[in-house]
Amino acid sequence: MIETLLIVWRESLEAALIVGILLTFLGRAGEESGIRYVWGGSAAALMVALFCAAASGSVMAELDPDTQEIVQAGILFVAVVVLTWMVVWMHGHATGLRGDLERRASAAVATGRHLGLAMIAFVAVFREGIETVLFLWGVVAQHGNVTALPMVVAGLAGGGLAIATAMLFFRGFKQLDLRTFFRVTGILLLLVAAGLLSSGLNKLIGLGLVSPIVPQVWNTSWLIRDDSVLGSVLSALVGYRSRPSLLEVLAFVAYVPPMLWALRRAEHPRRPAGDGRPVPRAA
Amino acid sequence: MLRIVLLAPLLLAATAAAPAFAIAEDHTIALAVTDAGFDPAEIQAPAGSRVRIEITNKSSAAIEFESFELNRERVIQSGQTVSVYVTGLDAGSYAFFDDFHQERKGTLVVR
Repeated sequence: MIETLLIVWRESLEAALIVGILLTFLGRAGEESGIRYVWGGSAAALMVALFCAAASGSVMAELDPDTQEIVQAGILFVAVVVLTWMVVWMHGHATGLRGDLERRASAAVATGRHLGLAMIAFVAVFREGIETVLFLWGVVAQHGNVTALPMVVAGLAGGGLAIATAMLFFRGFKQLDLRTFFRVTGILLLLVAAGLLSSGLNKLIGLGLVSPIVPQVWNTSWLIRDDSVLGSVLSALVGYRSRPSLLEVLAFVAYVPPMLWALRRAEHPRRPAGDGRPVPRAA
Repeated sequence: MLRIVLLAPLLLAATAAAPAFAIAEDHTIALAVTDAGFDPAEIQAPAGSRVRIEITNKSSAAIEFESFELNRERVIQSGQTVSVYVTGLDAGSYAFFDDFHQERKGTLVVR
């Protein structure tokens, strides 16, 4: 359940940072009356996200078995795309977030529309909540036999860690480097996404819809058994299987290097040509 | 670069999908799961063919047909029948089990 913990930790931290920024802003602006709107919006978003999770579960149960399997494969692919987008393209977003949120919050305060504050909190928390639901559905689809209890425990642990991390951040704890946190979890989540991609393809192979190309490329069960502790951890983190098909291996290899490269580029963006800085003159 | 990144999976999907439809006949095996276990506990298939294992869950609870050796897992609700495909296997025996009731075991023998 390590991937559940990781996903919930990171998603909840993003939501907690947004709520924290709004609360800090209102406290500094002396607008304590707006605080309960922020909490109200956040709580409503959390409840709607939980409702969506429950509702999607009962919709799934209505489908016939093969359709269910195809929908699960679809969820895995959508989760891969959203996870990738979140990790790679949203990378620089944390830095610009505070200014943007404060601008919108101060506009809401200035016009006396406290409901606007609730909306900002709602939208921010709801987005993270829906992403969490989607990724956790991906985890369920990947492993099939996920029992509810360990997942709830891992989810609560992830949520608790997120709140603790956010509190350290807002207390100005100097050792906490959120950039490093987002980079490390980003790399781990890209590996999780690669595993989700492979297992989505594995489902389509099992349904007879696509060919494995080669059914078994290698067999590493002598080294790491699928049902060993290490095998389970690797299965959760990178979708490890001891006897993968060529299609799954190709998908993994086609996905990971370009995405790690894209993440690196997002971290160190090259300055666009002609950005107005004076050209250093040759000595 | 971004375009290549996005196109790669599509090309991969196209190459993978093509041969799946080219093979005309499947070797179908019926396999039932009862509260006592897999029935029959040993199934057979010819090497190299595309095999469709048609699994009916006649037991009272959901099962998960799982095999590390076949690289397959599939949850089957009570009363449902699903098909699980395995393709191009080498000769040998491949163990499978019910992940929800691990005392239920079976073998696919490929000759």
